[in-house]
Amino acid sequence: MSDSRDDFIIAIRYALLKKSTKQKFSLFFLIILSIATITLDRSSLSVMSTSRAVLNDLIYQVASITSVPGKSINYLAKVKKNYFSIYEQNKFLQDEVIKLKNNQFNNIFLRTEIDNLKKILTLTDTRSLEGDISIPARIILDQKSPYMQSLLANKGTKNGILKGMSVFSKNILIGTVVEVNYMTSRILLLTDLNSKIPVIIQNSDVNAILSGGGSKNDFFLEYLPDEFNLEPDQVIFTSGKGGFLAAGIPVAQSYLNKKNEVAIKALADPDQASIIFINNGQLNK
Amino acid sequence: MTFYKIKDVILSFFPLLLLYFLSFSSFETLKEFSNLIIFSFNLQMILIYFYVLKYPDMLGYGHIFIAGIINDTAIGIPLGTSSLSYLILSFITTYIRNATIRSKMTAEWVIFLPIVFLSNLIYFIVINSFSNLSFYYVELLRNSFFTFLFFPFFYYFFSFLSKLNKKEK
Repeated sequence: MSDSRDDFIIAIRYALLKKSTKQKFSLFFLIILSIATITLDRSSLSVMSTSRAVLNDLIYQVASITSVPGKSINYLAKVKKNYFSIYEQNKFLQDEVIKLKNNQFNNIFLRTEIDNLKKILTLTDTRSLEGDISIPARIILDQKSPYMQSLLANKGTKNGILKGMSVFSKNILIGTVVEVNYMTSRILLLTDLNSKIPVIIQNSDVNAILSGGGSKNDFFLEYLPDEFNLEPDQVIFTSGKGGFLAAGIPVAQSYLNKKNEVAIKALADPDQASIIFINNGQLNK
Repeated sequence: MTFYKIKDVILSFFPLLLLYFLSFSSFETLKEFSNLIIFSFNLQMILIYFYVLKYPDMLGYGHIFIAGIINDTAIGIPLGTSSLSYLILSFITTYIRNATIRSKMTAEWVIFLPIVFLSNLIYFIVINSFSNLSFYYVELLRNSFFTFLFFPFFYYFFSFLSKLNKKEK
């Protein structure tokens, strides 16, 4: 009994400490080094944040090159898919154009009415002009792992990007900047589980928190009143609470899923985002 | 002559090149094929397990550590998480290699299951303790399961490449 325990301990020690001919480091040393790295990364030392930013910039640039084969496969698959669905797409787009034209007239009328009402109530426009300046950026890497859904942009502190800024694609909010390096920045997508933004629901005064569910068709609302029932085709806007984002930015919409349940999908498609606009939370220009 | 030299170099450094490539491109899901995303698996783990078990001289622990750091940076999780997870995997694999007298594919495949789960458990514990990130645990489980399931395919593929390398030499 004691012999077998000794053998086990010897085998463990051998595996941890013994270096074979071509191994420069023992496993024990590297495991300790990993634990030290994790602890140091957690600490708020300025040296660590600077070195992490440099490392990030370096790795993101190389990663953008290594991701080219994957991107090409994705591109070819999309081209093939689009080619075979051109007829359906055309029909769908024609219907959409008609709908949008009707909505446009409706919007012009509503805008005029709001402006007139504001004049009557002597309200000023609260939308700040300096916040409307957007920084255009290109997506260099699309990182959608099961653990984090994020995009990497080719602009960083050098270009005036700050942590917490909002990111738009085709005038629709897609996420926020969560990490800034000198030349690059990481954008946490709204679809990520960690993304939570204050919202308001169309035709109601209900405030809630919109959380990502891992995919663009899988959002959920938190802190809804018990008696509130979400209906299909309701648009969800940012509420502007907390001053984090301007109010009234459309972000998601409710719809009936295959199981005939009301679900929430994003208005933007982060997969299609290649050029994005980063600003400090106001509407994208 | 030059072609054979290049081929020889590529075959000798294949595991290293593949490991670094996977880490930079953070290959964790089959995101390029949206219909296959459910079958996401961790090829790095299969690669590390196979080469540490069969050809330890072809894949150094130092490289595994660096590949883990690159992977963490690319994904955006605390630095050292993947390194620790991969090194734990290497440690158990080294122990198994030393304790095994006659290797058999089926036995190695079965042992791979608890190893994958343990190294993913380390990964999960570090992410939960050292960051505020949240993720679906079922995704991690699914990833572990498919990593285990795809192991035989890559086992034969890597064995074939290693045999080619031996022949060249």
